[in-house]
Amino acid sequence: MYDIAIIGSGVSGLGAALYSGRFELKTVVIGDKPGGTIILTNDIANYPGFNNITGFELSEKLKKHVKDYNVDFKDGKVTKVEKQKNGFVLTAGKEVIKTKSVIFATGTEWRKLNVPGEKEFSGRGVHYCALCDGAFYKEKVVAVVGGSDSAAKEALLLTEYAKKVYIIYRGDKIRPEPINEQRVEDSKKIEVINNTNIIEIKGDKTVKSVTFDKAYKGSKEFNVDGIFVDIGHIPLSGLAKDLGVKLNDKGEIIIDRECNTIMKGVFAAGDVCNTRFKQAITGVAEGVTAAYSAYHYLKEI
Amino acid sequence: MAKVKVYSTPTCPWCIKAKDWFTENKIKFENFDVSEDEKARNEMVEKSGQMGVPVIIIDDTVIVGFDIDQIKEKLGM
Repeated sequence: MYDIAIIGSGVSGLGAALYSGRFELKTVVIGDKPGGTIILTNDIANYPGFNNITGFELSEKLKKHVKDYNVDFKDGKVTKVEKQKNGFVLTAGKEVIKTKSVIFATGTEWRKLNVPGEKEFSGRGVHYCALCDGAFYKEKVVAVVGGSDSAAKEALLLTEYAKKVYIIYRGDKIRPEPINEQRVEDSKKIEVINNTNIIEIKGDKTVKSVTFDKAYKGSKEFNVDGIFVDIGHIPLSGLAKDLGVKLNDKGEIIIDRECNTIMKGVFAAGDVCNTRFKQAITGVAEGVTAAYSAYHYLKEI
Repeated sequence: MAKVKVYSTPTCPWCIKAKDWFTENKIKFENFDVSEDEKARNEMVEKSGQMGVPVIIIDDTVIVGFDIDQIKEKLGM
């Protein structure tokens, strides 16, 4: 029987694991995305103590740090969490894990556009990660959908490959951090199209064009070789919900200042939670806090 | 032993994770860099019907993305 089972092996889960290990609690981290979504971020310049680091390196460093302590790691997707008399039982493939407490650090997945053609052309012109698939678009024309800081960073990364990068945004003005906003403005390859939605994606073997909901330069049809969707994230909170943990209307796990959920013995941290600011550093800090709360909970039971 | 092929690009983080995972679990694999190797890229697109990476082929099973559960199941782990 474990003291703490941490679901999710992203940076929030690793932050929790580090402290849990230091508290000498019997700890397991289980997840099917080792490193978490941060590994898809090429350039992190706001994690205190690291002037510039890739998401991949940051997660590797954290994992290496965790390994200084006695923490078990298991690979696989947790498909069920059940409450039992003396704790919880997690199922992941062939693994059955018994634990006294649970920390949900399950993160998020990409929000989809939900327009015709998106699914059909997924991986054939519709992509969700510039760092992964950008290299296929050398000297091509691509579009990033979204107006966040993350969307701006995707566009900037794509300028290394593509000859032209459009940012398609439904709002009046994209809203990256000022530093990235300036970079977008300075880039000769990037052009922003505001107040516009893609309503259909078309092509043959691969994407050839999209249809806008309003005309751009006189036409609603717009030729493009690749689309990178970056319109936010959906919390992966299904397991927590099934267990009886309270979520908000966005589907995020509701936590208090100390990362408690409404359920005794169940804690949560990182992007899956109802915290407004979702950064690597805040996620790690929540992981640490969740481990500390779990430590106190375990002393009391 | 199962024959494992990984179609990847050098920058794709899940490709690196996948290759590291096979190495950690002592499973031999053949890597193809589809950003450079056009023949491999065509092969990948033909077999997986798409060009998102990584594509992992274990014997005849095509797995798109680093899907640990599917990989473990296919390898009987």
